[in-house]
Order: sequence, then C-alpha cells, then structure tokens
Amino acid sequence: MTSPNITSPKPAAPAAKFASRFDRFQVVLLGLSALAVCFALIYGGYLLTVMQMAMIYAIFCVGLNFFMGYTGQASFGQNSFACIGGYGSAILCVQYGWEPALALIGAMVVAGFFALIIGYPTLRLRGHYLAMATFSLGLITYDISIQWTSVTQGYMGYAGIPSLGIGNWTVESERGKLVVLAVLLAFAFWLSLRMRDSRFGRGLRAISGSENGAAALGVRVPRFKLIAFVVAALYASAAGSLYAYTFNFISPEAFGPAMSILTFTMLFVGGVGTIVGPIIGAVVTSLLQEVVRGSGHYQDIAYAVGLLATLIYAPKGLSALGGLFRRKKEEA
Amino acid sequence: MPSIVELTQSLVTGVGIGLIYGLIAIGFSVIYNASGIVNFAQGVFVMLGGMFAHSILTRYGLPIWLSAIIATILVAAVGVLVQIFVINPRWRRNAPLFAIILATLAVQLLIEQIVILTLGDQPRTYPEFTSGGPLKLGPIAIPYQLFWVLGVGAILVFALTQFFNRTPMGRALRACAQNREAAALLGIPVERMLIVAFALSAGLGAIAGILITPTQYTAYLIGTPFGINGFIAAIIGGFGSPVAGLVGGIFLGITQSEAIVFFGAGFRNIISLSLLLIVLMFFPKGLFGGFAKKA
Amino acid sequence: MALLKAKGLTKRFGGLAANNEIDLEVPEGSLFAVIGPNGAGKTTFFNMVSGFLSSSAGSIELDGRDVTHVPQHEIAGMGLVRTFQLVQLFNGMSVAENVEVGCHLATKGGVAASLFRPKWFRKQEVEVRERAMELLDFVGLSAQADIEAELLPYGQQRLLELARALAAKPKLLLLDEPAAGLNTQETESLAHIIQKINAQGTTVLLIEHDVALVTRIAHRIAVLDFGKKIAEGTPEEIKAHPEVIAAYLGVEEIPDA
Repeated sequence: MTSPNITSPKPAAPAAKFASRFDRFQVVLLGLSALAVCFALIYGGYLLTVMQMAMIYAIFCVGLNFFMGYTGQASFGQNSFACIGGYGSAILCVQYGWEPALALIGAMVVAGFFALIIGYPTLRLRGHYLAMATFSLGLITYDISIQWTSVTQGYMGYAGIPSLGIGNWTVESERGKLVVLAVLLAFAFWLSLRMRDSRFGRGLRAISGSENGAAALGVRVPRFKLIAFVVAALYASAAGSLYAYTFNFISPEAFGPAMSILTFTMLFVGGVGTIVGPIIGAVVTSLLQEVVRGSGHYQDIAYAVGLLATLIYAPKGLSALGGLFRRKKEEA
Repeated sequence: MPSIVELTQSLVTGVGIGLIYGLIAIGFSVIYNASGIVNFAQGVFVMLGGMFAHSILTRYGLPIWLSAIIATILVAAVGVLVQIFVINPRWRRNAPLFAIILATLAVQLLIEQIVILTLGDQPRTYPEFTSGGPLKLGPIAIPYQLFWVLGVGAILVFALTQFFNRTPMGRALRACAQNREAAALLGIPVERMLIVAFALSAGLGAIAGILITPTQYTAYLIGTPFGINGFIAAIIGGFGSPVAGLVGGIFLGITQSEAIVFFGAGFRNIISLSLLLIVLMFFPKGLFGGFAKKA
Repeated sequence: MALLKAKGLTKRFGGLAANNEIDLEVPEGSLFAVIGPNGAGKTTFFNMVSGFLSSSAGSIELDGRDVTHVPQHEIAGMGLVRTFQLVQLFNGMSVAENVEVGCHLATKGGVAASLFRPKWFRKQEVEVRERAMELLDFVGLSAQADIEAELLPYGQQRLLELARALAAKPKLLLLDEPAAGLNTQETESLAHIIQKINAQGTTVLLIEHDVALVTRIAHRIAVLDFGKKIAEGTPEEIKAHPEVIAAYLGVEEIPDA
C-alpha cells in the first residue's frame, strides 16, 4: 500500500467521472440487491417483510453515511431521530388525522429541528466523547419513549397507524408496500448522490480526510458537520415514519439503542463512506439475520463473530472488496 | 418533599453504588490512558465477575474470598484474550475509532451470548460477605456490604496509585498514556503494556461485579448499564487518576439515587445520561480535573 | 504596502514562550521566508497567523484589517491559504477531487443548490472541474487526476497540496516546510513552481528548514530562534548576519520527529 505503482498513468477524462464513481463490483452488488427485491415480490411470504425492513434500514443508512461515512463523525444516537419520525407520524396521523405523507414530512421537520439544536452543542465533541454523547442521546430518547406513556403508550406500543398513501390512494398490500419503499429508497439514494457530488459533499468528505486541511481551504467545519448531522436525522426520521406506515405498529424497542448498533453494523458491512455501501449493507445484513434466525443464541454469536471478522478482514466493507481484488490483481 | 431520612438513606445507597461505578471508571481510564481506546465492553467484565464468583461458589463450595480471587483472575484472563484477539489486530492496523468501538460492542454481545449458553440466563446472587446487618444508625440502615465496598475500594485506589507511581511497570503504563510514540522509542513494549492494561481493567471490573452482586443480582444483561454508568463516572472524573475516577463514581451514584427519590425510578437513566451530556458539553475535562487528554 | 503585518505576536504554552513579541511585515507581491532551527517557533507563528492557534498577545493584520481573533475559515476567506508541514490530503478522494475542494472559497452553493442544480450551479461545477485540471497541469499531476490521493508518492502529495491551495485563489500563500522530505530533484522543481506562483502575483510566505533553498528564491528572510526574531533582511544580509550563523552553527541539528 505504501509503495503505489503509478508507472502507467491513465489519461485524464473528466467525462468518465460518473462511471468511475461505481466500480463494476459495486454495480453487481446493487444489481443483486434489486434482484433480492424482485425475488421477494415474486415469492412473497416472510421474505417480503425482510425486504421491507431492509429498504427502511437502507434509507436510514444512506443518511447515516452522510454523517459517518462522508464526514467521518461517529453517531450512535441516530435512532433518536427515527424515534421522532415514527412516533411523530403515528401521533399526527392517529390523533390529528393528518395525511400520512404529510405527517412524514411534518415529523421530518421536527426531527431536523431537534437535530439542529442538539447537534449544535454536541458536535463540538470529538472521538469517543462524541460517540458516547450521541449514544446517550439515543438511550435518553428510548427511555422517554417508554416513560412518557400519555403520548407514546409506553411499552405497549402504538397501534392503528395507517399505511402510507396520498388522498384516497393507500398502499395496503405487502407487495405494494415493498415496491413503494424500494422506489422511495431509490429516490433517497438519488438525492444523496446529488448532495455528495457537489461543493457541499466535497466539503464534507474533505472534513473526514483532514479537518485542518478543510478549514485551511475555508470550509466551515462546525457548520458542515451540523448540516451533515441534520441531513442524517432527516433520513432517519423518514425511515422511522416509513417503519410506522409499513407495519402499522411501533414500540420503543423498534427505535431502541439496538437499532443504532444494527444500522452501524449495516453501514460497516456495506462499506462506510462508499456510495452503495448503505444499501448493500442493509440488504445483506437483513438477509443474513434471517438465515441464522431460529438457531437461537447461536444467531447472535454468529452475528458478533461475523461483525468482528468484517471489521478485521474487510474494514471498508463489502463494496470495497472489488477494489481489493483489483489491487491484488495489479500487484500480481 | 422527601424526608431527611429518605434523603440520607438514599445518600448511603448512592455512595455504595457510586463506589462500584468508580471502580469501573478506573478500569475505563486505565485502558483509555494506555491506548486511547474506550472499551465499550467494560461492563461485561463486571457481569463476568459476579457470574464467575457465583459459579465457583455454588459448584465447588469454595469460600467466598477464594472464589472472588479466582473469579478476578479468570476475568483478567478474559480481558487479555479480548485485547489479543479483538483489539490488537485493529489497533495495529490503525483502524478508525468507530470500528474499534463497534468491535468492543460486538465482543460484549458475543460474551453475553456465550454466558447465556453456558451459565444460563437466570439472575443470581449470593449472600453478603459478612452475615448479619444492616448496621442501624437511628432510622438509617447501612448494609455491611457497603463497608466491604468502601474498604476494598480504598485499598484498590491506594494500591493502584502506588503501582502507577512506584513500580517500573506502572510508570511504563503512564509513559504510554502520555506519549505512545515516545514510550515506544524508549523501548517500552507498548503492546505488552496494553495487555497489562486490559488485564488490570478487567480485574477491576470483576471486583466491582463481585462486590455488588450480594446487594443486587447478576445476570448476563447487567453489563450494559454498569458499563454506561462506569463511563459516565469516568467522564465526570476526567479520565485521570484512580482517585478522580472513584470521586466521579460517587458523585454519579449520589446524583442517581437522589434523583430516584425526587423523580421516581423510571427517571434514573434519563437523569444520569443528562448529567453525562452536561458534563461532556460544559466540563469536557471532567468535574474534578485530572490530567485528561483531549480525545 | 504590507499584506500581512504581525505586531508583538506572542504565544505562551504554560510558562514557555514559543513565540515572543514577533514583528513581521510581508510586503504585497513578495516571496518572504521565515527560517530558523527546529523548535524556533516557526510553525507556531504560522498557526497563529492562519487562525489555527489563538495568540497570547500581539496583533495580526491582513490586508489592513485586524484578524487577530478571526476564525480560520474567515481568514481563509480573506485570501490567506496555508499548507501543512505534515501533508493534510483528503484521503478517500481522488487527486482531482482534492483540488476541487480547494475551489470551495471561490464558489458558492449549499445543500439546496446541490439538490436542485440550477443552471449557474451546473456551470460552476464544470468550471471547478476545468480549474482543477488546469492546476494539476500546472504542478504536473494531470496524469494522476483520477487516482486516489493517498496513493501518490510523497513528493507528489506535496505538489497536490500546493495545487489545492492555489485553487482557493489565495492572495497570500503560506507554505509550511514545503520541501520537507523531498529529494534534491523534487526540491528543485518545487522551487521552480513556487517562483512561478509568486511571479503570477501571489504573495508567498514560506517556512523552511532548507537554508540553501530559501536564500536562493526568497526576496526577504526573517530568522527565528528560541521564539524570537533575531534577524531580517535580504538573503545576502542574512547569510552574513553573525547571530544567524551562531544560531545555525551553535545549535545541533535535531532530526524531524
């Protein structure tokens, strides 16, 4: 790695930029994920639920990737914003009779606002301090969602949430829900690409490369971190709302600290900071969980060992494996 | 408004649990200062301490003091294994911070599941080290176990202070804490020091777990709350000297148990986590100074 | 006219004065160098001037405006751009993207612009790409544009950092030991590039360890030793200055950590 071989310079081709963003391996992985969705649509059954979940988590992770991947900051508390999204949508729809689509946006506004006022003091922290502060944020939200029974109905959970829809058109069938979720994920992904490949996105990625270097070039580091945090929170909130509309029921457990750790894992498995990583990670992890489910505690052991192995042998996640092979080939 | 008796009684409880948090906090600082890593699996050592001590006690009928010593040594060995197999491979590769955090969380999950499979998921406890009690001071009851916690805590803090200041190994650990590269240049085997730090830290966690089990219980899932509270105590104390960790723990313990009196048990975590956020944001070097390093 | 004016600039770390009452005026258009033995306080001075470190006393004026307590991004916005002694590349980004980040100050647009991509934004993106390629051409890295920055050999990383700083269209360019770790040949081409940058109208202030390099290219040199300015003048004056000779001959060379 330290002695790169640049004897055969490639001709510069700015036009090839889009193609160079995805390597072939990543395209294959993305294709396989789409295939998994199609498979679920054809065969139905429990696989539908698994893929619905994967799509929701993927939306969450696409947002998380902005803060953790591109900006290089650790947040273990994004579940807070999913919690706001989920309960916000549920309450707005059930108690105030809002349209689900409108409630989704309303909850996003609330979550974004909270992210702004929480992020402002919190993001001054670094490293472990930031990790722990955000983690405790997630724990506090979780505890509040349990304790504040008059609003959240506590442990019992919140039932009777309508399905997603606009006006008279609602999506009630499981297949329809998966299609809508997949389309929304594609939209969210497309938005993330637009943000990534711009002055804003480059600024974020510069921060993760070197905060000092970015600041020396005039990037307002604290402000950019805060915006990335808010973007991640908006995605998380949308994911939380979609969870509520998809399963028509939410409970504190759905948005507990376990969610943070699970999504963290997904991001790492897929490849933190890569373009397709969040989606690949969410799909692969969701499917793997189902494969080992039923084996009881061995499931969690397999999960933990798998995670540890990923962290050692594929620290940049699955979507970077393509690059790894290629580099090996070049070295040979 | 709660009565004076209630407040005083919860003060006693708070000091007891706070000392335990303090011991865990010292464990956090030992590893953090030697390696720059926060071991989020720290709570697991607390859980293992209680579980091992209970198993040795019930299966082999050994006296409590012997069970405690064996359990502590076993947990320290687990700490060494964690360092060698989980932390070191990443540490050597200069893995990003959150990869290491995630790895320690995975270790926690792994150990918890192994404990369920081998020792079961039922909570368990054993009697206090000294039977009888509690000591009655008017309306205030002080369990004998509290004196054990106080005594062991004081001895450990004294021993650790001596260790860090007087012994070559302790000084080497402190050198690693101040400047790892310089320590390596001076010929201090940094990786071996990390193993020592993990053993020490795991042992401290185990002792905390062994001490607390008689007044509460132990089960596979107690690791997380103890880990988090220990971390909060470490933050309050400022990741500095052993004394600072202990003081941070007592401060947290008292705040928590008084908060229960005022707001109810459901708010215990919300209060202590809010305390953490306040300290992090406004007193990033801890309430009690110490030679905190910037993260 | 002085583009940069430091008056009585002081930085104390504990009881130790890393910089002690330094006065310095960098004339517009000049190629100014600060030299001194290791630990003389050169980087501390740089860090204060560029807003990375707050000063204990004294004042800094940039282009006639007091910037003593102005945050770093704002100083950068006023046209003072710096590089680092330890190269601070943006790993995970390509060589071209690194330079594109450099255009940050010279461009505008945030989240909304990136989402809706109005016409001016698209035009700007094209210009940014073109400018990046131009600058890479200037430092001789255009062949490596699509390679990940961290894969470049060290000498080229230095050049990349330089191109990136230029993308910000600086009025005053601060270079912190740009030749550190370069071989003779690389140093030679770097010196050439620095002179070219200066000739195009950018004021350059550089810290250097390599006295031979500095005396060859700089118009004016200031010498720091133990946090104090001990001399200032033209290269010829400096070479003949007794205190400078003492500082360099009297202090044993300590290798860079």
